[in-house]
Order: sequence, then C-alpha cells, then structure tokens
Amino acid sequence: MDNVVTRSKDVTLLEILDRVLDKGVVISGDMVISVANVDLIYLGLKVLLSSVETMEQLRGAPFAGPTQEPS
Amino acid sequence: MTDIQTTENELVYLYCVTDKEPGLEEARSLVDNLYFVFHKGLYAVAGKVEKSEFGEQNLKRNLADLEWVKTKASMHEKTIEGVMINACVIPFKFGTLFNTEDSLKAMLEEHAEEFKAILIKLENKGEWGVKIYCNIERLKASFVNNEPEILEIEYEINSSSAGKAYLLKKKRGELIKRMLNKKINKCGEDSYELLKELSFEACINKLLPREVTEREDEMVLNSGFLVGNDEVGDFINIVDTLKMYYESEGFLIDCTGPWPPYNFCGLLKERVQSG
Repeated sequence: MDNVVTRSKDVTLLEILDRVLDKGVVISGDMVISVANVDLIYLGLKVLLSSVETMEQLRGAPFAGPTQEPS
Repeated sequence: MTDIQTTENELVYLYCVTDKEPGLEEARSLVDNLYFVFHKGLYAVAGKVEKSEFGEQNLKRNLADLEWVKTKASMHEKTIEGVMINACVIPFKFGTLFNTEDSLKAMLEEHAEEFKAILIKLENKGEWGVKIYCNIERLKASFVNNEPEILEIEYEINSSSAGKAYLLKKKRGELIKRMLNKKINKCGEDSYELLKELSFEACINKLLPREVTEREDEMVLNSGFLVGNDEVGDFINIVDTLKMYYESEGFLIDCTGPWPPYNFCGLLKERVQSG
C-alpha cells in the first residue's frame, strides 16, 4: 500500500535539501565558511532534473510532431 | 580527546556539538579523520577535510555537482545520527568550516552558554518531520459530485445558451479552485495544530517543488515538531488517525523521525552578527 508509514529516515535528496543544507546552526564570523547558497543548489537541481526529464521524453516517446490546428 | 593539528591544506569541518563524550564508532565507519574537541564543557564533533575539496572556491564549484552534494550531505547527516545514538546533539549546517582548531574553540567559547542552554532544552526530545502531499485530482473528485453549489451550477450550465454556459463554466472552475484551497488549508492547519499540541515546539517550513520531492502530488504542508521521547507513541497515533481521516480525499501524510533537531536549535539570544 502506498500509505504505509515511512518512518525510516532514508536520506533522500528531498531530506538533504530540506534539512542538511538548509537548516542547522549557522554561525557567522571570520573563521567560518558556511554554505549559504541553498537557493543556488535548488536552481542547479531543477536545471539538472528538468534536463533529465527532457532527455527521457525525447528518448521514450515517439516524436509526435506539433499538433497545431490549421487556422 | 585528540589534538590533531591542521596542516596548510586542511580545514576543520564541524558536524555537531554535544555535552556528553560522543561515541564515534558508528560515524567513524563513514568519515575518515573524525574526532572531537573538548572545550568549555562541550564536545565538538569535527573532521579534517582538504582545502582542495572544501576551500571556499572549490566548495562553490563542488556545490554545483549534485552527486557530490548528495554524497557529502548524506555523510554529514549519517555522522550526526551516529553521534545522536547516545547523546543529545546540536546539528550544524552542512559546510560549517574553520581554518584551525583554535578558531573552532573560539567559537565554542563564545557560544558555550547558549549551546548548553539549547542542549538542556533538547534533552530527551527528537525532531519529527510531517509532510503532507495532495493529489489534486483525487481531492477534486472527492467533492465535485456532491457539493450542492457545484451541482447547481452544473444544472444551470446544461440548460443555458452557449454564451451563458461559457461564463457559468468559468464560475464553476473558480468555485472548485476555492474549495480545493479551502480543503487543502483545512487539512494542513488541522493536522499542524493537532500535532503542535503534542509537541514542545513546532515550525512550518518552505514547501518544496515537485522537482525536488520527485513525486506526482503536490506538497501542501512541510512541518517539523520537537517531540518528547515519551510522547512519540501518542504523536504517531495522531499521525495515523489523520492519515486515515484524510486519505480518502487524496492526501498523503508522510512522517519521519527522529531527526537531529535541525529546526529547533536556533541560538536563543538574538545576536547581531557581522558577516
């Protein structure tokens, strides 16, 4: 069943982005470099995922061509 | 306690802070060079990393590499979980780096009292995450054929001229949208408020897009709860009840934990920091 509790803590990409990269104590100061550009990673991720998707579409689906109605 | 000196090419990577001597056996199997620094009554669990990998410029480059991020962020998480087995921890954000062990100690010194207060607050508690997803089509199907208001418009559409029917269809669409929103908000709010009652603290986080969740349905609530270890059973029972109640409307409730308390370890005192 799809609604079985997933209480296991698989460190999925989702949880990585949601917790490890985005949360936790942040100390600022000269001696510390802390990853602040989470949005940048989201962005990179989106680009990567969407390109994968596009590739799959190109590979998987037979090319249907534009279905424009003549007007 | 160890006294490893960083070389020119190394940085100190901080994972978490605890007030009990941490058992590192579990985490050492994942990360090389893991050790702890004891200072001001606190143990900082840290590791040596190479500048060629974590130095500012190189880190920026590596962050663009999703596989690298996944691997390193998983290691970060698992390391903290390993320490969490027998100690209460303050997890630090991924990529918290110091040039030397002395600068790490200086940070501990500056925040020692706050860290101790946070650790007392976190004692015997764990973070649980509750995310709710909604299959919009299923939710729509659950009410669209039995809401009197919609049925009424439907009836009117069938007995109207084409022009009027067009406008009525538009009106129906807007009504459905409003009802969807109302039901989604109700599910999210009710669930959050109920679970908050059983928690010491609760927070609502950003909703994540489908590209990130890799799911077909939409995330409609992303929340975190700080739950006492004795209350976990009750908490999960409530989650299960909510699941049963909302499932038929197309909602899926996903509960995970216990996590390191990433969401509940904010520094207590407000500090304006130069940075």
